[in-house]
Amino acid sequence: MPTLTDRAWSPYVAGILIGLLQIPAFMIIETALGASSSYVTVGGLIASWMDPSILHIDYVAKHIAATAKNWWQVAFVGSIAIGALLSMRLSGAKRQAISPIWERALGSASPAKRYAVAFVAGFLMLFGARIADGCTSGHGLSGMAQLAVGSTVAVAAMFTGGIAAALLLLRRI
Amino acid sequence: MSLSIAIIVGILMGTVFGFALEKSRVFEPGIIVGQMQLRNFIMLKVFLTAVATGAVVLAALNGFGIVKLQPKAALYAADIIGGLILGVGIALAGACPGTTLAQIGAGYRDALFTLAGGLVGAVAFSYAQPWFNSTLLANGDGKIIFSDLIGIPYWTGALGLAAVLIVVIALLERWRPWRDEMGHDVDGDMGAVASNRTSPVRMAPAE
Repeated sequence: MPTLTDRAWSPYVAGILIGLLQIPAFMIIETALGASSSYVTVGGLIASWMDPSILHIDYVAKHIAATAKNWWQVAFVGSIAIGALLSMRLSGAKRQAISPIWERALGSASPAKRYAVAFVAGFLMLFGARIADGCTSGHGLSGMAQLAVGSTVAVAAMFTGGIAAALLLLRRI
Repeated sequence: MSLSIAIIVGILMGTVFGFALEKSRVFEPGIIVGQMQLRNFIMLKVFLTAVATGAVVLAALNGFGIVKLQPKAALYAADIIGGLILGVGIALAGACPGTTLAQIGAGYRDALFTLAGGLVGAVAFSYAQPWFNSTLLANGDGKIIFSDLIGIPYWTGALGLAAVLIVVIALLERWRPWRDEMGHDVDGDMGAVASNRTSPVRMAPAE
């Protein structure tokens, strides 16, 4: 029986719990689970403090509007950090500042190099997710469960890009 | 729906999501990079289980007329190009847009840079969005779902997908038991392979 203090749960227990989150998403918020739109909401809001003209872009105006769906997702994604912290505290796990796999994957122990790669990776992730209109959550978890044709194509592309990059650009971990 | 209720619901749901991501270990860079290098299949196990569960849940909710589906429009060029770029980012980040926050919660400092890069990437896309809107995002096939293409009710198709996924997951587990894929620190780090650092025929990294 899984407990809150376990170091790890079976991927099947965790996967079922994640899938069940579609119930409140669809029933209360009338939306599907997703994560990447919230980056436009938060990023667009911060950018508008420096460049108010960004609000003239409909896409940005639509994403930072004070609607339940927009800000539900910001709260949802931000709180992932709370849940992970809580789980970590309960299991008593300790983590280094950078996962030990990166020294092998990047062939370098330099934190600066890892931070630079992480920044570029984050940029690509969200630039790509916004072109595709969804990420591993919106297209993956929700789109595939809804049998959406475009989402299935997007997920196949994500794994293709991810596998190619991990085999060609990273060293074996 | 008032904004404050939506935010409270979001906080509760996000906390559960983060908890499940941490417990499943799928947020670990070692698990995600391991999946993309086809050495570790925890990510696929969590992902397919969550998709199958979502499909069963939505088959019931939609089949009984309680909720409407919210599929995204199919824009194949955008789905493929965007998906490929996103995938490269996931491999190099060792995270996806949601698990980045789990890494921050667990104390990985590099994830703060992933988050910052993500916000800048989302803003960069926003500036370019009017251009994308008239090109890649212009003509789609609409919100098509496989069950409509085949001509069966959604709930039948969704239960069919779930049944197929359960078989795939069972085979995956038989091939690679999940307990063997965790590593001693449950982070997917299986330690350096003997030939790892010294092999002369390994491809040089391109970064």
